[in-house]
Amino acid sequence: MNEVCFKNLDQKDPWSLKTYEASGGYSVWRKILKGELTPEQIIDELKTSGLRGRGGAGFPTGLKWSFMPRNANMQKYVVCNSDEGEPGTCKDRDILRFNPHSVIEGMAIGGFVMNATKGYNYIRGEFMEPFYRFEDALKEAYDAGLLGENIDGSSVSFDLYTHLGAGAYICGEETALLESLEGKKGQPRFKPPFPANIGLFGMPTTINNTESFASVPDILAKGGQWFADIGVANSGGCKLFSVTGHVNKPENFEVPMGLPFKDLLEMAGGIREGRTLKAVIPGGSSTPVLTAEVAMGMTMDYDGIEKAGSMLGAGSVIIMDDSTCMVEALTRLAHFYYDESCGQCTPCREGTGWLYRVLKRIMDGNGKADDIDLLMSVQDKIMGNTICALGDAAAMPVESFLRNFREEFEYYIEHGKSMVKG
Amino acid sequence: MADIEIEIDGNLVNAKAGEILIAVTDREGISVPRFCYHKKLSIAANCRMCLVDVEGAPKPQPACSTPIADGMKIHTQNEKAKASQKAVMEFLLINHPLDCPICDQGGECELQDVAMDYGSDVSRFTEGKRIVADSDIGALIQTDMTRCIHCTRCVRFGAEVAGIMEMGATGRGEDLKIEPFLEEGIQSELSGNMIDVCPVGALTSKPFRYELRSWQMNAVSNVARHDLVGSNIITQTYKGKVKRIVAKDNESINETWISDRDRFSYEGLSHENRLLAPQIKVEGTWKEVEWNVALDFATRGLANNVFNTHQTDKLGALASNTATLEEFHLLQKILRSVGSENIDHRLNVKDLDNAISLESSIKLAGLEGVDHALVIGSNLRLEQPMISHRLRKANLSGASIDVINAMAFDFNYRLNSENIISPNQTAAMLAGVLKSVLQNAQVEIPDYLVDIKVNDVATQLAEKLSQSDNSVIVLGEHIVNNPQAASIANLVSEIAQHTNSTTLNVSATANSMAANMTGFVPGKGGLDVNAMLAADLKAYILLDIYPQYDFHHSLQAVEALSNEDTFVISLNSFKDDAVAQYSDVLLPIASFYETSGSHVNVEGEVQSFAAAVNAPSDTKPAWKVLKVLADLLELPGFHYADSTQVTSEVMHQSHKQHVHGESIDVKVKRGVNVIWQKSPYAVDVLSRHATSLQATNIGQINSASMNKATAKKLEVAQDDEYLGVPVAINEAVANNCVFVNANHSTGVQS
Amino acid sequence: MISNKAKKQIDAWVAKYPEGHQSSAVMEALKIVQAENDNRLTSDTIQAVADYLAMPGIAAAEVATFYENYNHKPVGKHTIRFCHNISCMLNGSDELITHLENKLGVKTGEVTPDGLINVKKVECLGACVGAPMFQIGDQYYENLTADKIDEIVDGLK
Repeated sequence: MNEVCFKNLDQKDPWSLKTYEASGGYSVWRKILKGELTPEQIIDELKTSGLRGRGGAGFPTGLKWSFMPRNANMQKYVVCNSDEGEPGTCKDRDILRFNPHSVIEGMAIGGFVMNATKGYNYIRGEFMEPFYRFEDALKEAYDAGLLGENIDGSSVSFDLYTHLGAGAYICGEETALLESLEGKKGQPRFKPPFPANIGLFGMPTTINNTESFASVPDILAKGGQWFADIGVANSGGCKLFSVTGHVNKPENFEVPMGLPFKDLLEMAGGIREGRTLKAVIPGGSSTPVLTAEVAMGMTMDYDGIEKAGSMLGAGSVIIMDDSTCMVEALTRLAHFYYDESCGQCTPCREGTGWLYRVLKRIMDGNGKADDIDLLMSVQDKIMGNTICALGDAAAMPVESFLRNFREEFEYYIEHGKSMVKG
Repeated sequence: MADIEIEIDGNLVNAKAGEILIAVTDREGISVPRFCYHKKLSIAANCRMCLVDVEGAPKPQPACSTPIADGMKIHTQNEKAKASQKAVMEFLLINHPLDCPICDQGGECELQDVAMDYGSDVSRFTEGKRIVADSDIGALIQTDMTRCIHCTRCVRFGAEVAGIMEMGATGRGEDLKIEPFLEEGIQSELSGNMIDVCPVGALTSKPFRYELRSWQMNAVSNVARHDLVGSNIITQTYKGKVKRIVAKDNESINETWISDRDRFSYEGLSHENRLLAPQIKVEGTWKEVEWNVALDFATRGLANNVFNTHQTDKLGALASNTATLEEFHLLQKILRSVGSENIDHRLNVKDLDNAISLESSIKLAGLEGVDHALVIGSNLRLEQPMISHRLRKANLSGASIDVINAMAFDFNYRLNSENIISPNQTAAMLAGVLKSVLQNAQVEIPDYLVDIKVNDVATQLAEKLSQSDNSVIVLGEHIVNNPQAASIANLVSEIAQHTNSTTLNVSATANSMAANMTGFVPGKGGLDVNAMLAADLKAYILLDIYPQYDFHHSLQAVEALSNEDTFVISLNSFKDDAVAQYSDVLLPIASFYETSGSHVNVEGEVQSFAAAVNAPSDTKPAWKVLKVLADLLELPGFHYADSTQVTSEVMHQSHKQHVHGESIDVKVKRGVNVIWQKSPYAVDVLSRHATSLQATNIGQINSASMNKATAKKLEVAQDDEYLGVPVAINEAVANNCVFVNANHSTGVQS
Repeated sequence: MISNKAKKQIDAWVAKYPEGHQSSAVMEALKIVQAENDNRLTSDTIQAVADYLAMPGIAAAEVATFYENYNHKPVGKHTIRFCHNISCMLNGSDELITHLENKLGVKTGEVTPDGLINVKKVECLGACVGAPMFQIGDQYYENLTADKIDEIVDGLK
């Protein structure tokens, strides 16, 4: 446990340059500055490591970096997505607070590999403590001569800046994040073109999640195979899981991929006294909810969770015990997507409000017999028809809650009150 | 781009790699529903209505943003595609109001049309519908934002075409709202196009509000005559009245846009100020009479004052620049048939010995392909909106634009340099440019340039023109009365020749090209307008002239025309006090859209149009009036059955003018120079009577702008009147220059 | 409308972006100007920011109305941003919000009569392992209980 992003968590001032360097930090970066590592070598190591995007989509990082037109004669950018906002997710906040240098080094390495001399770390606007921590770390890195132009006399240049969000979940979507970085509303762009061709300020850009960047230095320091071996097939390495909800000790845990869910639950202190597990959302609010039975047999890796009928997402494990009213839980999630829809494209703008209103009406005791069919139909009409994944993210919980806990909804509609809470 | 083959709905289609799918389906006549896509705007892909099934793609793809690739197989109508399209339609309709019966877009609504094919007859949405507060965005556009489907066409139009981002999408999610930031009215001179691009009834024509259902109207193609473009329009009419004007596509002329002036000037047609009946002045009193009486009175007047005394050289003809090609032709033909060469349309030129003569050598469409432009003496955006739009497009694709003006204007594109200099220095500046050009080309410097000093600005302007492969020099209206106007035109011509640049002369607007084409200028022995007014003529035929607006020497003009011994026949479309004062007979003529005729645009394109409505009341098309007048004068060669016979007669003759003025004056002049210009929406009599246009911000422009130093010299202060117009102290004006924009009749021009 | 101090702060953000892309700083500029104008934005302050960054007013207004961190109505000196999303809800945020409303005597969305505090229900703030939680200013307060809330609120001046 806690082998990569959290490895210095038990040290004094884990966020300091001193602590970071004492545990081998910036050794990879210094090798690069000395010309001892090539972009190709780095991409190979990353591919070997099996590192996949930790923001939720799970795209192989090495492959993503190889898509950048590194030889194109124009400014290129690397961007770190620290706009953590998926309900249930709070791991990037801790990386920024406790290990900011790993993000800086990861981004610098990315910049070198992709020949991008400028980087931005987009931190959500509410994360002021992490922001100051990261800014302090940046200053330390600059003062130590680790960043800037022609660093340490080498031909390598990398400048890194932070950008603060201002409160919009959608900016976690990478193209919305780019729009936001350009000082616009965070409305996702349609693809193609992809950011690797036309990204920030119209230039080739690669965006990775905070945890992905933070994992890179150790992977390169200890070898891709080392990292791959921590995890299981198709899910290399370890991963941060935020275990929240009805557990005794909610916490972020960095554990090997493939860990049985029940072990993770135990690490979080198990279900509260006198209660039993009812449901688990394994990857953040956008991922389908699972019943306790299915969850208990699941392993925490991309394939394991997919086999169970959901997605690993950002590794945000929301635990619900038998006191949870699933109608209420879904209504809360539906409100979230309704509130956070950017409004740009029709199905999401109109559909998320429709879903929420029907659920709210059920909660108010005014449900109708055909409301469940209506909800299923509306979510199905949003699914796949939107510009970005927020539409799907709004649809999937509805579908999975209704599929797995239909009787609670039927009860609410019929009796005008919660089956669980009365 | 390589030719490729794709399959759409089972049929093989040839296309270019990388083309956008919807462009291909449109070309092939395959119907794909859409709302946000507009061929002239950037792609938004936000409405999702054009989702189609692309084999191999896990999700349906929007045809508007999907680049095609070889071998792609697309289904626009299969179950998957239809399901997505119907889903989107349902979402679009849940919050759309059911007010189609009172919606002005009814019958021409894209949402209504598409709903016919993709909508359901039962709504499953039982929650409350969204209601959106409207914004007052000015006199031209009515908003009903509850109807908005958030396609953002209007927002993109503003940002991309109009060049001023005025509408935006504020808020987010369901509360996303299309609105302007401040409720001070839309500023753009092209704003009405937002009505055309709006697919629903959210933005409609304010003057047209609740007038009629669209299907009740007839549509007649027409040509707008307010500027040098001749934008193609559709006049929509009902019971003999023009009720609305919309743009008609013509890629080489106006693409798909029209200016607000072209769209809303029709309102003037029904103004109470129209002249509707023939009148004669008997012993100082006006009397309404039948046409035959009026025409008989007119011919007798001419006979008495001119023919019977054998003084045909004492007859003059003047015409407004808005006349049709045919009207210009017939009037000059009458004059020349009776032996007079006193013919002119250049009423606003102070000194015709110093008149601009410059051929235009570039097509409108060519303008957007230039890599550099030098604009001299023009507020192009408000004077020639569609020409400015073309230059803006060139600019957006990389062309640099330099400006020499006497005042800094609000260009809606990035200028390479904006050189604000006094009109007195314009000739010297251009002389410097020419000298620098010649020096670079190692050509011998002519005598008149020897003493010219070439400053840095001139060097840079010259360099740009010399280095550009495809540059244009635009000569604008503000030069018309420059003390060295003719020299400036000649300098431009020289510079263009030596830098291989094209030229665009926009110094005279409306249908002035038609006047030139018909030879509506004095011939050998003839008098120009200023000479006529000084020469004590015995009779005039005046075509739609409003002296206080049209003449540079307006006081002298009214005085000369009011001479008791002068018999004045006025053909007018609107009443005017000064006209009534000096005329002896008033012949009411048809206005815009009420007559057939032709417009000649800046590139020389002759565009003929039919009358959209009959001439109202007792008015008659001027070409017919002139033909009958000629018949009554028993002049030969006026046997025309319709106006197109007149047109073809013009097309078979040539009246090419020759560039004159070998001498070029490049000395810096002294004194304060006045640039007098009618406000953009006061350029012609119809616009002046269009109430909604007048109520806009542009319509309200009325000021004599000058900087502090000039004001001090002229001993005037802010809000004083100068030449009958309120003084506005503005440091954007060059020294020694007053920039007058008048939207009302002042009676004075200089 | 924008103080020199604020201009300096804005300039520091502008410096982070390539030349000609100064509007990237609009989000921070709006926050800076909001902070020195009673924690809210008006069309005048939005226009002032737009002018300062040479961007259309409506483009700044789009940003100001899109993101949640900007206020357009009067707010208190301290805004308590209470998360009520799933993890916090499972840990009793709704009950605690009611407790807070009762304590302050105002509902969410209202400002206390002394102008000191208003409560806003917000979506996930990304501190779910510390649920229930809220934010005041730059500070997160986690693992809230009724007693802890009382203590924090009593300390607000």
